[in-house]
Parts: sequence; C-alpha cells; structure tokens
Amino acid sequence: MKSAIRYLLFVFLAVMITGCMNDYSSKPVCRVENGRIIFKLDKRWSDQEMKEILSQYDLDSSLVAKAYSGKGEVMIDSILWKYRTVNPFFAELSKPLDKRSGDFLQKNEVLIINDSWIRKPLFVESAPVVSGLNSFRRRGAFKYENEVAQFFLPNYKDASNIYLSGTFNDWSTMQSPMTACDSGWILRISLKPGKYLYRYIVDGKWGTDPNNELQERDDERRNNSVVFCYNHRFALKDKTEAKKVIVTGNFTNWSRDKFPMERNSNGWSLDLYLQEGTYAYKFIADGKWLADPANTDNRKDANGNLNSFFSIGELFTFRLSDYLSATKIILAGSFNKWRQDELVMTRDNTGWQLPLALAPGNYEYKFIVDGDWITDPANPYKTGSGDYTNSFMAFKPNHTFVLENYSDAANVNLAGSFNGWSADSYRMVKKDGKWTISLYLKPGKYTYKFIVDRKWILDPGNEIYEANEYGTNNSVLWIEQ
Amino acid sequence: MRLVFLYRYFLPFFLTIGIIVSLSFFSSPYEVNSTVSGISSSSEYTGPFSEPDDAKPSIPAETDVLTIPLKNAGRLFMIEAIIDNQSGNLIFDSGATGLVMNRTYFRKYVKTDIQNSNGITGPVAEVETINLGKVNVSGLTFTNIPASLADLGHIENRRGIKVLGLIGFEYLRDFEIVIDASNNELQLHRIDSRGNRISETVRSFQPDITQPFEVVKNIVFLKGTIGGKMLRFCLDTGAETNVISSHSSKTVLSTISIDRKSNLSGAGQNSVEVLFGIMNDFNFGGHQLKNMEAIITHLDALNEAYGVQIDGMLGYNFLAKGAICINFTKKQFGMKFLKTELK
Repeated sequence: MKSAIRYLLFVFLAVMITGCMNDYSSKPVCRVENGRIIFKLDKRWSDQEMKEILSQYDLDSSLVAKAYSGKGEVMIDSILWKYRTVNPFFAELSKPLDKRSGDFLQKNEVLIINDSWIRKPLFVESAPVVSGLNSFRRRGAFKYENEVAQFFLPNYKDASNIYLSGTFNDWSTMQSPMTACDSGWILRISLKPGKYLYRYIVDGKWGTDPNNELQERDDERRNNSVVFCYNHRFALKDKTEAKKVIVTGNFTNWSRDKFPMERNSNGWSLDLYLQEGTYAYKFIADGKWLADPANTDNRKDANGNLNSFFSIGELFTFRLSDYLSATKIILAGSFNKWRQDELVMTRDNTGWQLPLALAPGNYEYKFIVDGDWITDPANPYKTGSGDYTNSFMAFKPNHTFVLENYSDAANVNLAGSFNGWSADSYRMVKKDGKWTISLYLKPGKYTYKFIVDRKWILDPGNEIYEANEYGTNNSVLWIEQ
Repeated sequence: MRLVFLYRYFLPFFLTIGIIVSLSFFSSPYEVNSTVSGISSSSEYTGPFSEPDDAKPSIPAETDVLTIPLKNAGRLFMIEAIIDNQSGNLIFDSGATGLVMNRTYFRKYVKTDIQNSNGITGPVAEVETINLGKVNVSGLTFTNIPASLADLGHIENRRGIKVLGLIGFEYLRDFEIVIDASNNELQLHRIDSRGNRISETVRSFQPDITQPFEVVKNIVFLKGTIGGKMLRFCLDTGAETNVISSHSSKTVLSTISIDRKSNLSGAGQNSVEVLFGIMNDFNFGGHQLKNMEAIITHLDALNEAYGVQIDGMLGYNFLAKGAICINFTKKQFGMKFLKTELK
C-alpha cells in the first residue's frame, strides 16, 4: 500500500514536473516582465545556436555559465544581473530595463534606427558599371551631345508641372522643372558621362520613363529608369558589305552579341558609356574577328591575337626634374597601392616623367630613386610627418580650403570627415599669407576643422557649423552634385 | 499635468501670451476599456485673435489638391523646401509639434523668444524661436511664420541628406492630408469649413477603416489593441520604427517577440540599450497587421511633453501598410491598406 502511494506520488510529481517544463519551454528566449529583461537559456542548444543567441541579444558567455549554477546575483558594469536555474534544462538570466533607453525619444526628435536591424540593407550602392548602352523605345526620348542631356516626355498635355529627379540632381523634386512643348515636356541639363537613375514627377506623382526599357530597383523596391551618358564612339569605316557587325572587348567579357553596331553612311558605329580605364577590343563582322584598322594602338596578346586598345579618363603627368644620373625611378602611390615595381618613369632631357590615367580624387605618392624613397621636391603639399611624410595631390580638385589671418602660424593642418579626422594627414601650405589646400570631394556633407599649431579651430571663413559631441562645434561643408 | 492646447497659427501668440487651456480628459488616466467610438472629440480653443493671413499656408490658387513628392532617406520621409533662399529638405515628422529648423543653417536669425524646457526626464534645454520669412515646401507656401531651433546635424550625418528642419502637421492641418507611403506622395486636399473636399473631380479617399482621433499640440493619437488591450499610439512619420512603451502590461509585452537587444544612438554620442522585436498581435480597426517591428523603450519624455499617457508610436512600418488620410476638421483618421496587407 505504502509503495502504491509512493508510486502514485512519484507519478503525480513526474506529471507536475513535465507539465511545468512544457509550460516553461513555451516561453520565448527573451521577454520583458515587471521592468526586467528575462532571457531563457536552454542546455540543449548546440554551440552554434548558443553563439547565435549570445550575439543576437548581446549576452556574455560567462553569465550564461553562471546561470546554471543555481540562484544568485552578479554585478557587471554596474548592472545587477540575476540568475536562477529553473529545471535541469532551463536557466534564466535577467536584468533591469535600461532606464535611459527612451531618453532619445524627446519631443521633436526623429527616431533613427540602426541599418543593421532592418533585414534588407537600406543603402545598396549599385555596383559600378563598366559599360552601358541605352534602350529607349522612342528615339527622341533621350539625346546626349556635348555633355548636354535632353530628356523628352511625350504627351501629358493636362499636367500642370513635371519635374525630372535623379541621381544627377540628388533626387531633387524642385530643381529641374521640365518645359511644356507642343508634343510633350522637355528638359536639357548638363551631365558628365556616366550612369544615372531618374524618375519623372508629374503633378507630384513619381513615375518611371515610359519610353525607357532600362530599369533598376532601388533598396525601397521602387523602379527607377536608367540612362547612360556616352563617352566613347566605336567606328568601323569599311565592311559596308557586312550584314552584321558587333563590337566586343574586355569591357563586355568579349561577348559576341551584346553590342551590335549601327550602320551609317560610311560604315558602322556605336556609342557607349565606359568607365575610366584601359580597354582591349575587336570588331566581329559577320562572324569574322578583326582589330580596328583605324587604331594605331594594336597589340598582340600572349596567343598572338591582335587586339585594339584605348583608354578612357584623363592623364596626369608626374614629373621629377633632375636626377639625370639615376638609373631607375619608380612612381608609387595610393593610386597603385604603393606597388614598387609597376610605374617605371621615363627619362627625358630635364628629368623623369610618367603620364598616368587617374580618376578624380586625392592621392599620396613618392618617387623611388634607385631604391631611395623621396617626396616630390616640386610639390609643397605633404601628408603625415617624419618618415611617414608623403607628397599629396588632388586630381581635379573641386574645393579649396582657405585660412586667412594666421600668417604667423608655424603649421596648419586640415582634419575632417573626409580623412577620418586625422590630425596630421592634410598639411596646408602658406601662400601670400593664406593657408590653402585643394581637395576632390564627392557630393555630400563634410564636417571639418583647421588645426593651427595643434589648436583645433572652426573655419572662420565658413559661417555654417554644427554641434559636435565635444561641445566645440564643427564646420560644415556641402559639396553639390 | 498642465496641458497647453494650441490652435494652429496661434502658436507664437499662445507661447508669448501664455494662454493655457487645461483639458481635463487628457489629465485623467486613459481608460483601457473605452471603445473607439467613445472618444470624445477634443474641444479646440478658438480665440478672438484674427489670423495673420500671410502665415496661412497656401497652395497654388487654381488647384484643389497639391501632391507633394516625398523622398526617402533611410526610412525617413523628406520634403524638398526652399526657406529664405536656402534649399534643402524638411523631414516630414508628424511627431513634431510645429516647424523645427536645423540650427546649423538658421543660427543667425534673430531669436524672437527663448524658453526653458524644464523636463523631468529630458535634459534642460533652451528652446529658441525664430521667424522665417518665405517658406516654400514643394509648392505649399507661407510667409512670416515662427519656428523653433534644434541641432539636427546628427540626422544629416546618419542619413547623408541635407536637413533644413522638421515639419509636422501644424501647417498642413487646414487640408485633408493623405500620406501614401508606397507611392511616396503627400496629398493636401482643399476642404470646406465642414471638412469636406472642395474638389468634385478628385475622388474622395476610400478607406478600409476609419476612426476618430485625439489631437494634442498637433500630434495625432490613434487607438490600436495588443493582446486585447486598447492602447494609445502617437502617429509619428519621423520614427523609423514603431515603439511600444516598456511600461506596458505583461499581457501586451508577452505578445511581442523580442529579436534582439542592441544599442541605439540618438542626438549626441550617448547610446542606449533598446529591445527590438515584432508586435505579433497588433490589431488596428479590426485588422490584424503583420510584421509590425517595434522597439520597446520608455516614453516618459513624450508623456510629459504632451500630458497624455502614450503607450506607443506608429512609425514607418505602419505607414508602409497602406495610405492614410487625416482630417483635422472632422477629427477623422482613415486608412486604405495595400492589397498585400488584406490577404
């Protein structure tokens, strides 16, 4: 009888425990109760699961180990954590909710979240395109000549206003109004060669270009029209008897069909957008491959095939005067990842020179004269200090920083969001009593300060500044498109 | 809790003259059991002052509806504007009580008023008021209006777009307002004194659901239920995510699956710990809305600023569910869901 009661008691207890465990296992990993965050830990998690959960909730692994050791409290970084073992499988960790957690939710404050929280990335920069060809359903819908683009949207007679908005005007909804003409709406704007995304805004409503077949989805899953402003024309003067001529090259992975040429009065031609760089190409006339007969830069590849070459982008000629007795001078810089064997300079009557195709930007460089690294004696602009001093140049700079009235300062440096606030990377140069440095800066916002003999100051010539976390303010500069 | 209830263009007058109208029903604790139809429409103060005509926002005379294209920066909605010859963007922030300008670009303006905001929770700060001359918000124009100043540089630095300021409902509330987030449109419809659209040609808004709303300082408060509990949400187009108050009841909080604990930084460098999750049981006007992301945090500063208990904020996720229509004259909120939300 006793054993029967014992047995029943055991069964009852077992049922109770299992019941409790089931109830507990249905609880979520993280919950909030009575002002505390409670984490449920499960001993049966694999190492991988445990690792993921720890990172998801930003938890300390040593705390987790403690939670299975019974019941107690532990202070970490002035936060009192409580832990308890619930049953053989589960343990709990808890801490009070951060009292400051809502402090940023003030009146008239916007709430900005971390991009990483959102499952899809917010800012997907479209991959740089090597080459591009437009595809318009209607010939007049887009024209590009002499760096002027003409956008034409036919019809919409009843619209009261139409704007063009795109990457070229920073998606402005007010800057580029179109003009009504008898058959539609038209706008001419200056554009550099490149790839652009755009949409039309008809009486406040966004829409893609109905005559443009090229579209790209942005990160908000909205469609944009895509247009290329061309910077290169392929032309083949002969082969008028051919039925089909294709241009191909390393810019299109030597595709045999992507870029068919158009027939004109004296041969074949095709306009394309190509990003800056050096390209090899060939024509395919009715299946037969041929190098460009009009190109003087035809070179044989390793297999003996003759390819035509050309470059897009402007050249900058680096010069080093004198050193005529040197046997080998190499140019190395941030433009070629400081490789010491690539850019061999050529000697002429007065020194050494090397033309190099560069994208607009800010570069550091040095010359290697028979193994000795030297800065450019003809360039006063330098970055860094001591042994780490390099020459500095901006190719196609679009902004000049000027500091006046500090002519007796010994050193003035420029630090800002463009150089990671490095205090010694951009040294300004004194000329006619003013300190200056020119930079190439992409469109967007920059914050900066001058460092005059180690003292950080705002730009006295710029009245735009904003608060920083140190309460000392930073100057603000916007570079427009 | 005192409550200042301000009528649209009188903000500066009220601030300076200091007329305070206490509305008793806001100061009483919010009844969780009250039904939607039971909300009393708030009585508005309609003072004896004549409105300065130039401060009245206007849209082109020949149109009955102005559609303003919205731009995105992250999950914020931006409206392009030209203010006293400075061009840039205003963040469309229905959580802003009026016009708030970025001190970076407006610090040279003469301060017409300086008030101390002595918050219990928030930092003590001076609120400076300036007067703007000519404002053109993508076709909506007004002149000679007051605005307060704030440091908004951190938003520019986080979202990479020039922010002239914030604009809330204050200068839009004479119109019926339609926010169509999926088409990036803000429509302002001219209405008559009873709140009906003037235009015969524009089809009226066809909502799937409607509800009356409360207004405090031009902020719209809506009702929704979680776990069967009715809660008061502030409609905030300037919030990149929804928010649930950490003071909510266990029933409410237990329906939220918390995906992660993380740090969030606001203005300045201080980062705070927040919990980010999904509201699994959010019911709005009889519709169960799915995948409503929310952070769980306290809303003490806002409760204090508006003098009402706020249980949460409805931000980007909510707006992305469809088009919403706000009519301040009728105190009526309408929502038309995207077809994908009704499945």
